[in-house]
Amino acid sequence: MADVRDILDLERPPTPEITKETILGNDKLKRKPIAPKVSKRPEGMHREVFALLYTDNKDAPPVFPTDTGQGYKQMKAKLGMRKVRPWKWMPFTNPARTDGAVFYHWRRVADEGKEYPFAKFNKQVPVPTYTDSEYVQLHIDGWSRAETDHLFDLCRRFDLRFIVVHDRWDRTRFQSRSVEDLKERYYNACSILARMRAPPGQEPKMYVFDADHERRRKEQLRRLFERTPEQVEEEQTLLSELRKIEARKKEREKKQQDLQKLITAADSQADPRRPDKKVNKKKLPHQVRPRNDSSNSVETAGIKFPDFKNSGVSVRSQRMKLPASVGQKKIKAIETMLTELGVELMPMPTEEICQHFNELRSDMVLLYELKQALATCDYDLQTLRHQYEALNPGKTLVMPGSISGGNVDEGPSSTQDTEPVRQRVVSEIIDVVGSPGTPSGS
Amino acid sequence: MMAGLTDFGPDSGGRIKGVTIVKPVVYGNIAKSFGKIREEDGHTHKWTVYVKPYRNEDMSMYVKKVHFKLHDSYADANRMVSKPPYEVTETGWGEFDIVIKIFFNDPNERPAVTLYHTLKLFQPGPDALVAKKTLVTEFYEEIVFQDPTALMQYHLTSTKPLTLGPWEHETNFEEKKDKTLQTILSAKNKIRHEINDLRDKLKLAKETMAKFKAEINKIQVGNTMQLV
Repeated sequence: MADVRDILDLERPPTPEITKETILGNDKLKRKPIAPKVSKRPEGMHREVFALLYTDNKDAPPVFPTDTGQGYKQMKAKLGMRKVRPWKWMPFTNPARTDGAVFYHWRRVADEGKEYPFAKFNKQVPVPTYTDSEYVQLHIDGWSRAETDHLFDLCRRFDLRFIVVHDRWDRTRFQSRSVEDLKERYYNACSILARMRAPPGQEPKMYVFDADHERRRKEQLRRLFERTPEQVEEEQTLLSELRKIEARKKEREKKQQDLQKLITAADSQADPRRPDKKVNKKKLPHQVRPRNDSSNSVETAGIKFPDFKNSGVSVRSQRMKLPASVGQKKIKAIETMLTELGVELMPMPTEEICQHFNELRSDMVLLYELKQALATCDYDLQTLRHQYEALNPGKTLVMPGSISGGNVDEGPSSTQDTEPVRQRVVSEIIDVVGSPGTPSGS
Repeated sequence: MMAGLTDFGPDSGGRIKGVTIVKPVVYGNIAKSFGKIREEDGHTHKWTVYVKPYRNEDMSMYVKKVHFKLHDSYADANRMVSKPPYEVTETGWGEFDIVIKIFFNDPNERPAVTLYHTLKLFQPGPDALVAKKTLVTEFYEEIVFQDPTALMQYHLTSTKPLTLGPWEHETNFEEKKDKTLQTILSAKNKIRHEINDLRDKLKLAKETMAKFKAEINKIQVGNTMQLV
């Protein structure tokens, strides 16, 4: 052991010994342990070498081996180095006792005449007393003088151990009271007394016992304890559900923020062609151009193709490459839509085709995003409706039919009349991955 | 032709800003089946991979060489062709990717543009081996010279016709171009319509959501009032 401590360079920690003195606290007699002072190992000296130097008596190391000493062993335990302290059979009284009974015990002669050492453990809790005139102030409805007296008496007897007081409560004479009732009465009475006895103009320190809080606390503990395994399980499920709901809510809120952006994007994307007249369709190519100018403000939606303004040689088809920012899901959606519409995945790269093809795919991405946003909205609406129904049973909110289900019915619009079937094919085939597929119940 | 070079001198590398010259090309391969498997090497087809101008012009004015990278199993897989016709004829039995690099007659220009072509030997469909006629697989591409150097611009604009006769391609690219454009435009139209629809729906959804929220609020307030 000493070796380990040497290696770690530790001093021996003083082990606190439990003695009568430490318990009783009268450590006047504490004696210094006669420990040989350990001389410090000089810096740089090896531990092993130092250990050789060290002897119990701090002697100079022997020059050659001797057989005069006892070697490394102390042959005899050095007991009885001090004088014998005699013991005596003597009487004592316990001040905690009121009857003054005398008992006998063995004690050191030196301690004769001293107070019984365990008397200090007889702690007295001061329980106030009151006079008849004072009781007038203490009186409250529901408590008789006799009952209050009984309470204070028990408190004094059991040193304010209210559980015991409650147990010993005289239920034959008085009505049964809860621990809280007892405590409330006791502390209220005490504080009234303290206030009455305090010197005028001075507010005494008072212990306030909040009985209601205590009752609620115990009730809560009781309920917690009395839960059945089923109830515990249900609570766990509910908690995890709640966490899920909150996570979803957060996610939806984020999507919600993107929504406005998207709508703005859709506005600027579609506005040049906003009039519903079909006639405009054929002239579209010429009208699309201005969109390019506004495309700076529409960075969030659609595809942002890199500008090919750099000097040098390049191949035209290079400009139809989708930028890396377009994710796999979107690429998949684009390809599905292109196939559906009969457009080649890599059309002939003339300048015009390049431009329109890129715009087409940008629009497709926007469409995809809108569709995603709409799915989110639809889900939100369902949630809100359920919330409403829960709050207001028997009533419901009517959802406009055109939001969900993908049916275009803004009245008899011209778009529907001209292309009744094909019109709504394309966005239908996009699989908006991750959208909550709640079928509309409206 | 060499006289042109001296006119500009070595320092004529400055680019002419705002000028864009487009050179359309056609690249691809033709393939013809032997009708049998050749005994010496198991080859089944004779094919030619090529790059040719879309218009009737001599590309050698601006193209220094064309590099065809064939499959490694061919002896001397890197084939350089430095004058028209830019093509490589070989025999084989399998399809593979050919990398075509076009180098230009301009030391200041980026050395090359790269085209990728998958050699096609077999007719798609059930009559893959039966087909006796030549299979043509070719694509249209445009080489774009953005802000060319003065020298390059000279080369690009002073091309001569390659042949006096008519210059035609196996594929009718003009027709294809028009058709593709029409498809794309109508697709675009359709998508925009749907965007409009969806946008309107979204707006409606947002309004409805606000309405629903207001209703719920009203009820919640009402409920609290009742509780109080």
